[in-house]
Amino acid sequence: MKSEHARKFESIDDIHKGFQDAEYVCNRQIATTLYLARHLEKPILVEGPAGVGKTELAKAAAAYMDIPLIRLQCYEGLDESKALYEWKYGKQLLYTQILKDKLNDLLEETDGLAASVAKVHQYDDIFFSSDFLAPRPLLEALQQEEGAVLLVDEVDKSDQEFEAFLLEVLSDFQVSVPEIGTIQAVTKPLVFLTSNNTREMSEALKRRCLHLFIPFPDPRLEREIIRVRAPDVPEKLRGQLVSFIQQVRKLDLKKVPSVSETIDWAKVLMILNATELRPALIKDTLNIFLKFEADIEIVKENLYQMAERATR
Amino acid sequence: MEPVLLDLIAALRASGVRISPSETMDAMKAAALVGYGDRMVLQDSLSAALAKSRHEKELFETCFDSYFSFDGFSNPEEGPSFPAATTPDDQDSPLTRMLLSGDNTGLSISMREAAKKEKIKEIYFFTQKSLYVQRILKGMGLEGMNRDMESFFSNESAQSQQKAGALREGRDLLFEKVRDFVESQFSLFAASATEEILDKYLRDMKLSNLEQRDFHRMHAIIKRMVKPINDYHSRRRKRAKRGSLDLKTTLRENIAYQGLIFKPQWKTKKIDRPDMVVLCDVSRSVETVARFMLLFLYSLNEEVAKISSFICCSNLVEVSHLFDKYDVDEALGRLQKGVGLGIHLGRTDYGQAFKDFKESWLDKVTNKTTILILGDARNNYGNPETGILSLLHKRGKRVIWLNPESPPFWGTGDSDMKKYIPFCSIARKCSTVNHLEQVVGLLLRSG
Repeated sequence: MKSEHARKFESIDDIHKGFQDAEYVCNRQIATTLYLARHLEKPILVEGPAGVGKTELAKAAAAYMDIPLIRLQCYEGLDESKALYEWKYGKQLLYTQILKDKLNDLLEETDGLAASVAKVHQYDDIFFSSDFLAPRPLLEALQQEEGAVLLVDEVDKSDQEFEAFLLEVLSDFQVSVPEIGTIQAVTKPLVFLTSNNTREMSEALKRRCLHLFIPFPDPRLEREIIRVRAPDVPEKLRGQLVSFIQQVRKLDLKKVPSVSETIDWAKVLMILNATELRPALIKDTLNIFLKFEADIEIVKENLYQMAERATR
Repeated sequence: MEPVLLDLIAALRASGVRISPSETMDAMKAAALVGYGDRMVLQDSLSAALAKSRHEKELFETCFDSYFSFDGFSNPEEGPSFPAATTPDDQDSPLTRMLLSGDNTGLSISMREAAKKEKIKEIYFFTQKSLYVQRILKGMGLEGMNRDMESFFSNESAQSQQKAGALREGRDLLFEKVRDFVESQFSLFAASATEEILDKYLRDMKLSNLEQRDFHRMHAIIKRMVKPINDYHSRRRKRAKRGSLDLKTTLRENIAYQGLIFKPQWKTKKIDRPDMVVLCDVSRSVETVARFMLLFLYSLNEEVAKISSFICCSNLVEVSHLFDKYDVDEALGRLQKGVGLGIHLGRTDYGQAFKDFKESWLDKVTNKTTILILGDARNNYGNPETGILSLLHKRGKRVIWLNPESPPFWGTGDSDMKKYIPFCSIARKCSTVNHLEQVVGLLLRSG
């Protein structure tokens, strides 16, 4: 299995092709960064506007390598008990209750408090063993025999404390559980961190990662993406809709259409059996890729010119 | 190739990309992994390892391009090349020989070596450019070449005259190339260095000496400085939610369940939001620094959620609303002129200001409030009303007094600073941005 992974990451071109098969069209930068991440064993910090396929990249990587994708969605207030591990308090309490009689039996033979305590000491680690440990995504990713793709999604939404806590996981691929000790990764996972830049990540975190910025794709790449993700769309329509979307992105909008929305739009046009982009059709389907009323108004104003330019 | 990479990293650092040693090592490993064969792949790899934000990526691209660009010598298609018509003699100086034979590679190497010897990487100011050009030319052997040229001119033979002409042409071209080279190196290594120096210089400059034109730069610096206060405190809500198991309360809570531990209790920790009351003196005695005190106040207002601002002179008025309504220039202009605020810009009277505060706004001060006073405590021999400050000191969390004057001047003349000090938790001199920064640190540390 490992050798198979190694083969898949032998050259940048292999990655490029492999991801294409996993329905993810990556450019040279993305392929190069993946190649480096794999060989230097470094996490990748992926930044870029919303909807350019940051999360999708991790999914495609998991599909390409045929290993599980373990996802940790970050949010305000996320802490280690949600991200790393938690003791199963309920189970611990339940077991102490169930085993009460057993404990009594054990302690019956001993006389004196000190002896009892000594006796209990022989067993107390039982309740703090891995049976009572509920692994959360980070620990789970380290425990995967075959390796895993760990996706720490929207890491910028988490708090600074959590970010600091991530450092140990990211640099050494290990976590410390005080009662058990340090747990090392069985196979080092491929780690993706995604960020929408709602806040600047700390220097320490950035230093430990390779950095990948995914911008909106150029027309050629976007056409390619549509071709892979919505293969039914005829070539002519594909060119037209991509050209239209690219023009829309240049307008001053509250929220510019993302790549995933372009794909949605292409699929919608397919359902409507469109073969060509017409102004009336665009007008009716604007809400697929524009999510603000004000944005729709702006696009409507320029609709005819843009449609003209797109279909030319 | 390692030295080349290190030089590139030095250039990146100079243009403002922060690169740590561990990242340097990553870049080395990455370069070794992908090799130097494909320029684009190398660029992408180094970019992934070194540039860690969008802005840095842009800087990286320009740096990489100009660093690995061809200088004028090695790209013969661009611009005129050196004439190779004449054959040099063995007695000529090396530079003459290279010029006459059109040895572009040799010239390029010799120029880079000379530049390295002259430490071109340390170029800081644009005024140094011509100096470096001269030094590099000298390092390449300009003197020897000049001597050769003179001897060619003095020789009357046609061949020698032709040689001299070719040499002069070559020399002019060489000047141009070296100038271009220094220009590109300057933009590579010194671009942001000057910016940085200016920022650093402003930080240590006395507030009273700052000029209007530095004002916006200053605003940016102060804003950056004040930001952590709010970042730190805005986390309170989240902090309160989490914690570890609190054994004592758990046991206590669970007595009701016959001592079975049924309902775990968690430790919680709260940080109070900064609750600030700021009094700023805008009288004539502090006129020069008042603008920057107000700027500080403005930035605090932008960043700190719960803050009440007052300005005082002969009396005291609240100005919090101004900061939300106007942009920085407008707000500060209004504050200093006191337009429509009901402030009397007569003799400074701290006593009256404190009295006004006590009368109308005392309820703003709770045991969580930090009271920040910006002023020189020059009271025109009026009643200092220390009683009220003492009341504020007792009632509030603490009183911080920032005085633009140095401590030796405190208490001299009409300064009542000495009388106020006993009721201040902290009294500091504050006349540069660095002082302000220390205050921010103080505000942060004890919440």
